[in-house]
Amino acid sequence: MIDAFLFVGLPYLAIVVAIVGCVWRSRHERFTMSARSSQFLEDRQLLFGSAPWHIGVIVVLLGHLVAFVLPKVWSSILTAPGALLAVETVGVASSVLAIAGLSALIYRRLTNARVQAVTSTGDLILVVVLLLQVILGMMSALHFRHGAAWSTGTVVPYFWGLLTLSPDMTYVADFPMLFKLHIIGAWVLVLLLPFTRLMHVLAVPFAYLWRAPQIVVWNTTRRRRQAVQATVASESRRAFLKGAAGVAGATGLMAMGVSEKTVNFFKGPRPDAEAEADLLQKKLERLQITAQERAYELERQRNDMILVARYAELSENKGKYFIDYQMQPGLAFKGQDGLPIVISAKCTHLGCTVGSDLDAQGRVLCPCHISFFDIRTGKPNEGAPARTPLPAIAWALVDAAGKVVASRKPGQPIQGRPAAEVLAQCSLYITKPGRDLA
Amino acid sequence: MKLPKQLQRIEEYLAERFPVEKMNYASMVKKKEVPVHRLSWGYYMGGLALFFFMVQVVTGLMLLFYYQPTVSDAHASVEYITNHVPGGALVRNIHSWASSLMIASVMVHLLTAFAMKAFSKPREITWVTGVALLGITFAFGFTGYLLPWHQIAVNATKIGLQTVEEVGQYLPGQMTAWPAAIKEIIQGEASVGQATLSRFFALHVIILPLGILATLGIHLLSVQLHGMSQGIDGQPKRLEKFFPTFFLKDLRVWGVAFMALFVLGLCLPFESLFSYPLFEPFNPKGSTPDGIKPEWYFFWVYYPLELLPLWVIMLGSALLGGVLVGTPWIFRNTSRRTLVILAIAAGAYLVVMTLFGEQIYHLFKG
Repeated sequence: MIDAFLFVGLPYLAIVVAIVGCVWRSRHERFTMSARSSQFLEDRQLLFGSAPWHIGVIVVLLGHLVAFVLPKVWSSILTAPGALLAVETVGVASSVLAIAGLSALIYRRLTNARVQAVTSTGDLILVVVLLLQVILGMMSALHFRHGAAWSTGTVVPYFWGLLTLSPDMTYVADFPMLFKLHIIGAWVLVLLLPFTRLMHVLAVPFAYLWRAPQIVVWNTTRRRRQAVQATVASESRRAFLKGAAGVAGATGLMAMGVSEKTVNFFKGPRPDAEAEADLLQKKLERLQITAQERAYELERQRNDMILVARYAELSENKGKYFIDYQMQPGLAFKGQDGLPIVISAKCTHLGCTVGSDLDAQGRVLCPCHISFFDIRTGKPNEGAPARTPLPAIAWALVDAAGKVVASRKPGQPIQGRPAAEVLAQCSLYITKPGRDLA
Repeated sequence: MKLPKQLQRIEEYLAERFPVEKMNYASMVKKKEVPVHRLSWGYYMGGLALFFFMVQVVTGLMLLFYYQPTVSDAHASVEYITNHVPGGALVRNIHSWASSLMIASVMVHLLTAFAMKAFSKPREITWVTGVALLGITFAFGFTGYLLPWHQIAVNATKIGLQTVEEVGQYLPGQMTAWPAAIKEIIQGEASVGQATLSRFFALHVIILPLGILATLGIHLLSVQLHGMSQGIDGQPKRLEKFFPTFFLKDLRVWGVAFMALFVLGLCLPFESLFSYPLFEPFNPKGSTPDGIKPEWYFFWVYYPLELLPLWVIMLGSALLGGVLVGTPWIFRNTSRRTLVILAIAAGAYLVVMTLFGEQIYHLFKG
């Protein structure tokens, strides 16, 4: 019964009172919506109390807020190794900071005469509840560790149950007393919101972060001049700080990015054994290709004639590929007169290798962009992408005794007319451009 | 003239170009001033080229950690850098982009220095070392192009070196064979192969860097000794301090350049600018890729070479080389107005040939 009041009744009471109270106060007593600064009365101790308190409590509250609003995102972040430890550490460190700051504030409020003069009972109640709440929170964090992780499955559903008007107490019933007190403390603080200076959390002066500095002074000529000087000084200081922060930030980011890249670059990849073996295999193939190519080139440099095929291997409708003196592909056919036709197989359009099959009109096809070349003249068909004919290649027929029985140079008539039975014994060679055959 | 007198003249000449009394911090840095006028942007071009050179040194050294200069491994190691080494593609891409940007800024630097008459006495040595630096930079481009050992690289190098051999046809008697012999000395063997790759690699990473550092040292020393050239006729309206004002502005330009380079390197692979997919490894049996072209910075000489007989180009380049080296003496008495017009004409030629060279080629060759 008491649980039902503390975990369902109290929250709704607190929320309703807080909303109504805050709206009423912000409409009727606008100018009381502040923390009622006492900086004028005492500023030294205030600095060492207020700054740590606010920094610590804001960090802790942001952690609570993210866990409540985005529980899935939050728990996925925490699955990263080390993240949970980091979050818990930051949380505890921030609460220690907050407790230290709040203690300094309480000490100041209780010992400084000027500050006491403006202190109300509400202030004292609030500050004590706040201190207790933070201590309770920190103790919960220390006793029941990894609260950042387990809270997403317990407190967060409880909280959302309340918000969606379907309160479920089963989540809360089994909590240890310490943690129950922390939750109750939270609702008490919500309840206190409209009645105390705590309401200043709703009037966060964000604009303060970028507005120009304002200096309040008595309006005399001397003071005005001083104020102008002070404004100029603080303006230039602001400009310098902003610039320095920008440059430092940019340099830091760039240094981070560049060092991340360079460290990994020099660390190098760690390919697995299989990839390593593939790489070696690839290099071996390349070396073989190069060696073979060298052999071909040497052959073409040293020899005035290169064997293409035996005459018997030539066909009338299927060309035989070979590599010519320019190290380009060539094609050899048997012509209708029985003598060879030898032309370059490198398409004059974009250098593809043309096909070796002859069609009905005695043409070969370059498959890349569809050009038909007549093998007798080398000329491409009308409207083909290729414009210039495939060049003819000088050749010679050599009989079994090693004697040249027929030959042809590009643009010249065939020399020699061997008989059919001699032809059958011949081999087809290409001859070096610009060399006369012996 | 007697020998001692000649020596004395040489000494006087050098003393004027390298004034020892100015070789100190006060006059080289503290007192140096930079004129402010409408051509002032030209003063940044040399620094920009220097910046890109420094980028090249750093990225080049990084690539050196993984690159292997052998015919069987070169392309595989470049692939390895691109696909496996963390950040390797970025480093290589920055190296490619910065090479082009360095050559572009060197070219603009040459034209602006010419237009501002920055070669007039006592800055002759600055100009001549600058011309040497230009040559070294082009040599960097030519040797570096071969190193990835892909189809385009090897075939382009073959064609480039072939040009040397073709000079032979214009030489009389025995000399006909000399250019072919010179080509083989450059190549190290009968055709472009392992020997060529080894010596291009040595040139690219050791010899040319040493050469450029030495030349650059003299170039920068002369620049600091003699200060910025006035740049325009008549007194400039205003002078600003070299250090720190101009130096900081220079750094800002470098920062922007680095930013642009980094973004380019990250987003746009240099190879995507080529219209043909020919970056497979060099395969000797594969046909020479058609439409093969050198890098853009050789277009200004490449397309004329394709269009005109070789002897015209030889004559032209000999003339150009002579004029470039001799500029300080040839244009000694030319007014800056004329120089600006000449520089604009040369710049226009370079831009037109680089951008529309192919169209011009097809216009004449069909």
